[in-house]
Amino acid sequence: MNGFSAFLRKELTEIRRTWRLWVIPGMLVFFGLTSPLIAALTPALVESMAASQPGVVIQLPPPSALDAYAQFIKNLDQFVLIAVVITGAGVVSGERTTGTAILALTKPLSRGAFVVAKIIAQIALLVAATLLGTIVCVAMTAVVFDGGNVARLVTAVALWLLYASLLVVVMTLCSAAFRSRGAAAGAGLGFYFLTLLLSSWGPAARYGFVGLWPALRDALMGEPLAVAWPIATALVAIVLGVTGAVWIFERQEL
Amino acid sequence: MSDAPATAAPAHTPAIELRGLTKRFGRTLALDNVDLVVRPGAIFGFLGRNGAGKTTALRLLSGLARPTAGVAYVLGHDVSHATDAVRSRIGFLPDVPGFYEWMTAREYLDFVGRLFGLDRATREARATALLEMAGLGLVTARVGGFSRGMKQRLGIAQALINAPSLLMLDEPTSALDPIGRREVLEMVASLRGRTTVFFSTHILADVERVCDAVAILERGRVVANAGIAELTTRAASNRLTVEVDGDGAAAAIAASLGTRPWLRSIETDERTIRLTVSNLPAAQREIPAAITDAGAALRRFEIDEASLEDVFVELVGGPAR
Repeated sequence: MNGFSAFLRKELTEIRRTWRLWVIPGMLVFFGLTSPLIAALTPALVESMAASQPGVVIQLPPPSALDAYAQFIKNLDQFVLIAVVITGAGVVSGERTTGTAILALTKPLSRGAFVVAKIIAQIALLVAATLLGTIVCVAMTAVVFDGGNVARLVTAVALWLLYASLLVVVMTLCSAAFRSRGAAAGAGLGFYFLTLLLSSWGPAARYGFVGLWPALRDALMGEPLAVAWPIATALVAIVLGVTGAVWIFERQEL
Repeated sequence: MSDAPATAAPAHTPAIELRGLTKRFGRTLALDNVDLVVRPGAIFGFLGRNGAGKTTALRLLSGLARPTAGVAYVLGHDVSHATDAVRSRIGFLPDVPGFYEWMTAREYLDFVGRLFGLDRATREARATALLEMAGLGLVTARVGGFSRGMKQRLGIAQALINAPSLLMLDEPTSALDPIGRREVLEMVASLRGRTTVFFSTHILADVERVCDAVAILERGRVVANAGIAELTTRAASNRLTVEVDGDGAAAAIAASLGTRPWLRSIETDERTIRLTVSNLPAAQREIPAAITDAGAALRRFEIDEASLEDVFVELVGGPAR
């Protein structure tokens, strides 16, 4: 794949020099900071709301580090994945509509290298941002709750990262397949909600990558994990997704 | 012709060769069975009005699109199977170049140099020379703040970073002011003999100024393909101006010539007759006789010089699609 290293270098520099540096890393740091605080304040908030309703008494157990980690994972599952969909929608289609792809691809840069470099750069950003957000969350949780089971959080985050990487690949494929950024985002959101829905169906969760969703909760709770099939199918789906994105982009006229 | 990875093509291999090149978009025929040969080292103008198919042809030549039928050879290689080795020997500027707006011009040239695998010293030296040539040597702003003309000049610079054997430019002067246009044309002219330049344009003056040869494209078909001098001579040999003595003689002579089979058009004023003819020798024989018959005297008989504009209007003068 000629031109790969030069184009990957461009992608990583672009992340560093544009808004892309701030969106997902910013969200992860924000959630790392606020998840422990929200977990600590939630029981008091709920009890004060209940107190204003005569006859209603709600008693919650004292908040713990586990609640902070669960809140963090919930934020990753919802807001960060949707941000991955939105930011990934224009990753190829944006270069096509602005004409930057035309100038790059009339040089010794293969379309395969173009697509793969984009995927690697996005996943690198996601991994770095997740690492940073997780460290912030662990540190903040230690301050607020005096410690917690970090190993469980790391396992859950690693499983989440695998699903998020798959979503990056799916978004790149959608962005290569659709001319418009909006259509790619729509297809990506469809994939996100469909996998969320399928994760509650036993066979799909047991043998498919959608099983990563319930596994996050199991990992946090310290329950035994049976994630060999979900991990294996996620990896296969990533390989197929990358291959599909390259195949589609190679057949397109610019 | 070969599809194998490119090596330096023999000197006699055409820089560009199109054989029956056809491109269809749904029901629209953008290119219709185009045959064309561009010899190495030429500065070749690809002329046509907007929508004639010029950009489509350049997209096919640069490997961005695939033909519906026919073959396009670039530097001896079928571009449908163009390898990076072929792309490493061409420079390309699209009609509206798109740049990464967060980069500076120097950073962009460095990025392009890396894609070509140039070492650092070569990249820096070429970027400095090309930025100077493009009038961007002192510009440190990001490309996002560039005017269209600045982007166009940067586009030409990036197309030259690899010292290409073939430079393909799509409407390179359309966004430039007169001075920028002159600089670009001088730069193109300076490449004569070293680099084949194939540029599309609808600006006839640009072609007349720098091109050795030209093809005129109309509704997806090549309607003329020759050297500039040959084209203008061919058109000139059809246009005559005749001046006679004698009031009203011009009208009488025009009336007597009106039925000649070689006459395509005729205009007169008091003493001057302007004719377009299909058979110059016959016209040269018969017009003086008609003047004598009308009792007038011949003052001037001139075969007009034609400009490329005359040729262009004659060939594509009909209504646009």
